[in-house]
Amino acid sequence: MVKRLSTRYAKSSALKLLLAFSVVILLLALCPQFLPRFFVYLLALILISGLQATSLNVALGYGGMYQFHHAVFFGIGAYTVSIMLMKTNLPPALSFLAGPMVAALLGFIMGLICVRLSKLYFGMLQLSLGSLVWIVVFRWYSFTGGDDGLHGVPVPSLISSVNGSYYFALITSIVALFMMYVILNSPFGRILQAIRDNPERSEGVGVRVKLHQLVTQVIAAFFAGVAGVLFVTVEGSAFPDLLSWTLSLEFIIMCLLGGWFTFLGPMLGAAIIVSLRTLVGVYTEYWTFALAVILMLLIFFLPEGVLGYFQRFSPVPEHSPAEDK
Amino acid sequence: MLRIRNVQKSFGDFQAVIKANLDVEQGEIVAVIGPNGAGKSTLFKLISGYLAPDNGSIIFQDREIAGLAPYRICRLGLGMSFQIVNVFDRLTVFENVQVSVLSHLRRAFDLVTPAGRVAVEQTMEILESVYLANVKDRVSGSLSHGERKALEIAIALGTNPELLILDEPTAGMSPDETFSTIHLLEKLNVSFGLTILFCEHDMELVFSFANRIMVMQQGLSIIQGPPEEVRNNQQVKEAYLGGTR
Amino acid sequence: MDFSTSITLNGLIQQFLIGLSRTTILFIVSSGLSLVLGVLRIPNVAHGSLYMLGAFLCYTIASFLGASSLGFWLAILLAPLVVALVSLAVERGLFCHLYDREHLMLLLFTFALMLIFGDVVKAVWGSEYRSLSPPEVFQGSLSILGMPFPKYNLFLLCAGPVVAFALWFLTQKTKIGKIARAAAVDRDMVAAVGINVSWVFASVFVIGCYLAGLGGALVAPTQNISQGMDHTIIMEAFLIVIIGGLGNVWGALLGALIFGLTASMGILVWPQFSIVFPYAAVVIVLVFRPKGLLKATW
Repeated sequence: MVKRLSTRYAKSSALKLLLAFSVVILLLALCPQFLPRFFVYLLALILISGLQATSLNVALGYGGMYQFHHAVFFGIGAYTVSIMLMKTNLPPALSFLAGPMVAALLGFIMGLICVRLSKLYFGMLQLSLGSLVWIVVFRWYSFTGGDDGLHGVPVPSLISSVNGSYYFALITSIVALFMMYVILNSPFGRILQAIRDNPERSEGVGVRVKLHQLVTQVIAAFFAGVAGVLFVTVEGSAFPDLLSWTLSLEFIIMCLLGGWFTFLGPMLGAAIIVSLRTLVGVYTEYWTFALAVILMLLIFFLPEGVLGYFQRFSPVPEHSPAEDK
Repeated sequence: MLRIRNVQKSFGDFQAVIKANLDVEQGEIVAVIGPNGAGKSTLFKLISGYLAPDNGSIIFQDREIAGLAPYRICRLGLGMSFQIVNVFDRLTVFENVQVSVLSHLRRAFDLVTPAGRVAVEQTMEILESVYLANVKDRVSGSLSHGERKALEIAIALGTNPELLILDEPTAGMSPDETFSTIHLLEKLNVSFGLTILFCEHDMELVFSFANRIMVMQQGLSIIQGPPEEVRNNQQVKEAYLGGTR
Repeated sequence: MDFSTSITLNGLIQQFLIGLSRTTILFIVSSGLSLVLGVLRIPNVAHGSLYMLGAFLCYTIASFLGASSLGFWLAILLAPLVVALVSLAVERGLFCHLYDREHLMLLLFTFALMLIFGDVVKAVWGSEYRSLSPPEVFQGSLSILGMPFPKYNLFLLCAGPVVAFALWFLTQKTKIGKIARAAAVDRDMVAAVGINVSWVFASVFVIGCYLAGLGGALVAPTQNISQGMDHTIIMEAFLIVIIGGLGNVWGALLGALIFGLTASMGILVWPQFSIVFPYAAVVIVLVFRPKGLLKATW
């Protein structure tokens, strides 16, 4: 009885959710028809940053791992696709696939070294490994273009226009977000959250904590690589700042702002920060000041983020049918 | 089933367990008692793999398990419930237990099936047996102490252990909760043949519930035997009545 | 990728000395960071900004007092003190409410501070380069084994041990040092014996930030003072603190030596990639000793 009620309830709420998402996606798909080009470009940037922040949140919010240097995977994805498109004659599709794959490989290698430690030590170690990657990219002029970066990446014409790259970013982000959603709601994701809450206890019920964290690293790095590839299709360039640790911190702020115990929080955070940067940036060169003030207010008053805050005060949906017993 | 011989563990200069021996047979309920600081919790952590012994052997089901990682020991059929409540605070009660069932079913790396459809029945069965089914959707961080303690046991049961180790299972529980917990453990022991090893401060409970009792004092195991024998043992009387030296 | 540079003994010694003077600055800055990290558990990202602030203040005070030697020495003295005052205000006003938060929150908070300091520097000093010449006594260079060596760097080489000794004295011999070390291990215990932990923390924080300011002031005559110097130094200082062992001041010294020397020696081996050497050294150390070379305080 309990079970049937709760599945029926779940079904109806899932239906509503699906409907809401379809409307949002439809709106997003129609945007290029009535919005100026600049806003379409801005939307694409929001989607990419949001995808990157969500992939970070897989490790940070759901896995409780101090992923301090997630931008490295983003940057490596971007550089891989740029270098392959510019310097090889391989089919573009292969280059686009290679971006996330190389990012995932880097995630695996860095993860192997880092998951031995936890919390702050993990974060620091990742930060130092990441800055090694950054400095190599920064200095290796002949291969990566050094501090100039790579510009004029020959993105296939189908997706190189503003609208084309927007639709490509939109479709890829939706697919990637859906995949991450499925992963986080699978047994793997459940156990990941258990590890976040209590790694010792998880190990005690037979979970291979370090292996689980390593796989998480690879998954998070893979989707960061996807975001990096999308960035190149929109911007047509890759530069060392994509791997900088300040960018990593900015992604963490997006997660914090939106709420890191929620799935869509990082996307919301990305939307707020990217639009703020663009809109405030029009009026003043001191937009980071605004970011800093927001960050301080968040830490003092809203440590669970915007979505986290609203979720706490909304009734838990599955609660009522359980009491019908 | 479990055979511990001459196990020793020290932290720096402090010898927590000097020499411990313990036998647990299939289907038994065995209690470990002793004054505070006798080394009971350390011994339990040595058995479940959270600590590695400096010396001695721990044999479970004919396998040496001393120094194995906790997850491997768990997979051999040994479940552990902690003295300090140790649950997954941000997950719901249902998810807490489900995690351990999923791990037992080796579904940890299943990335695609919605978790809401896996292991639901096993999890509900366990929740019902510990009387937590009605709070299954509450976040475990918001439970009362007694409920969290029961959840702690439920998590341990999720891995379907053959030997369940409980470090002070009823500490901080109300008399009602204590009664139902003990009742539950007895039921598990009788109907499913679950072997139980626990330690406890409540002597009345220990002597009425355990088949055999092992007494520890200052890191040494003094005696192991049926309740009557332990009750009449001179050394035990000294250990408890003479106070800890 | 020119490997043909002939490495002479003299060149080696020269690079070694240059590396050592860089090490001095790195040590002064990262020991402050390490102190704050060890006792207060704050990964202070704004530490680099205080270093930058120290350098700019040193420039401004020195130019205000005129380009005399006295002006320079006063600037070296005053700039870190002003930085310390700023940090005291920040600690009392904001930080002391956050000590029980997660590391991640503290880190992000200091990041916010870093952004603010960056903007303040941009607003006050603008984005041009500034440069400051050392006082006359230390202008020009000496000849060591036939190689020119800036006199000011000699001054830095002397300043390093002085700071190291002062830190040793402070942490080992003074009351506040002893309390701070105890608080690093177990702050509840220290509070329980009736010591006002809050003020101990404040003083440690201020001392740590003073060191950042001092490093900035000392480095001012040797390089262009510019925005963005906070970013480089904080990354380097963090890496140094990590390979040394979190919170261990001697670890900071060891880490600074490794970092400073691999960088300067790397120039002899592979000039284009010289900056990669210290980072690679850090990774090698961490692969084998993930928690740093010396014992961390936590």
